[in-house]
Amino acid sequence: MSILMIQSHYQEPFADTAPLFADIIASGLMKVVREKELTDEHFAAARGLITTTHLDQIGLQRFASAITAFLDRGGRWIYHGHILRPILPELGVYQPIPNPKRADFDQTRLFEHPIFAGIDQKKLETNRGVAGFYGRGHNPPPAGAIVINALGPTQIPVDWIWARPEGGELLCHAGNEFWGCGDDPEVKKLLARRAAAWLSGELN
Amino acid sequence: MSILAIHPGAYYHIETLESPRYAHHFDVLVRPEDLASVELSEHAVVFIPCRTPADRLAPHAQQLRAYLDQGGTIVATGETSWEIFLPGITFTPQLTNWWWWLTPDADFGVRIASPDHPLFRRLGQNDLTWHLHGWFDPPAGAEVLAVNGEGKPILYVDEVTTSGRMIITSLDPCFHHGSHFMPATTRFLDGFLPWMREELDGAQVR
Repeated sequence: MSILMIQSHYQEPFADTAPLFADIIASGLMKVVREKELTDEHFAAARGLITTTHLDQIGLQRFASAITAFLDRGGRWIYHGHILRPILPELGVYQPIPNPKRADFDQTRLFEHPIFAGIDQKKLETNRGVAGFYGRGHNPPPAGAIVINALGPTQIPVDWIWARPEGGELLCHAGNEFWGCGDDPEVKKLLARRAAAWLSGELN
Repeated sequence: MSILAIHPGAYYHIETLESPRYAHHFDVLVRPEDLASVELSEHAVVFIPCRTPADRLAPHAQQLRAYLDQGGTIVATGETSWEIFLPGITFTPQLTNWWWWLTPDADFGVRIASPDHPLFRRLGQNDLTWHLHGWFDPPAGAEVLAVNGEGKPILYVDEVTTSGRMIITSLDPCFHHGSHFMPATTRFLDGFLPWMREELDGAQVR
């Protein structure tokens, strides 16, 4: 196994996650593990990690040491959702945008991370013309993090990448799985494919 | 008595169950995995929030049934597979129409079926209207509180399947309120949770 995807929800379809990765899962590159079945060994065997918006953040605390070790080894982690139980000391608690208006959901690309590079961020800004699905706030970036995508005129850091000084990288998206946003199925597929390539170390 | 809430630990559960807006409506928060160590009969209500992973409650189905049989009350909101851990549930999922409100003057069709029920002193039709994931076929004798546009139950009280009471809805307010999304879901909880506290956790036993 190279990429560990933690499945936190019970029934489908709560997320677009599994179907978009069907080929990668079938190839054996990615393994989906129900969160309640996780063991330390799953983290020890992975070089990439995906957690979804439905993550049991309380339950994940029991793997704090395993996740730290995973990052120490240079593991890459894509985190989705609102952080309310930080599992690393450098992480902070999610901050929603208070009383957001439409302009607060305008999206701006600030850094061409290879997962997003060349993709028009405006394609992820709305679903059927309605904004607000991509993100409605931010998880505070640790010192040294680079903001990838920002919301609104004050550039709320909805997506950021952090190269952890002790090792490993965390790409954090403060919303539902980013490859499920927007209306363009080709963009979704591209984001999912690139995410898997980045997690496995093939895209840098 | 008191209200016990199941706490599955996703951010929307943490936001709904622990933040100041509603935390005072829940006396005890229990992880699904810890239920066996809890004496449910000490609590007037067991609240199961939306999107509780059903396979985490399945091992405790007998305990929940015993609690109902001794007269307990279980409140369960939407997007969980209730039938895996509660008796007497028949649910039909429907394709969710997220976009109905984009049509000017659209009527989603949700209706209050029992307007004299005390819950509707606190909730209006618009407070139940955001989107739907499906409907129920409740057992004969259950009290239907709200229906979808086809008249199918989406919120009901079942006091016939067991000696206790189950209040079941396919609405998913905790997920959206906890996501800081969809104001109607917050309005729903603003009315529903005080009703649960005052009417179900009060002296007004069946």
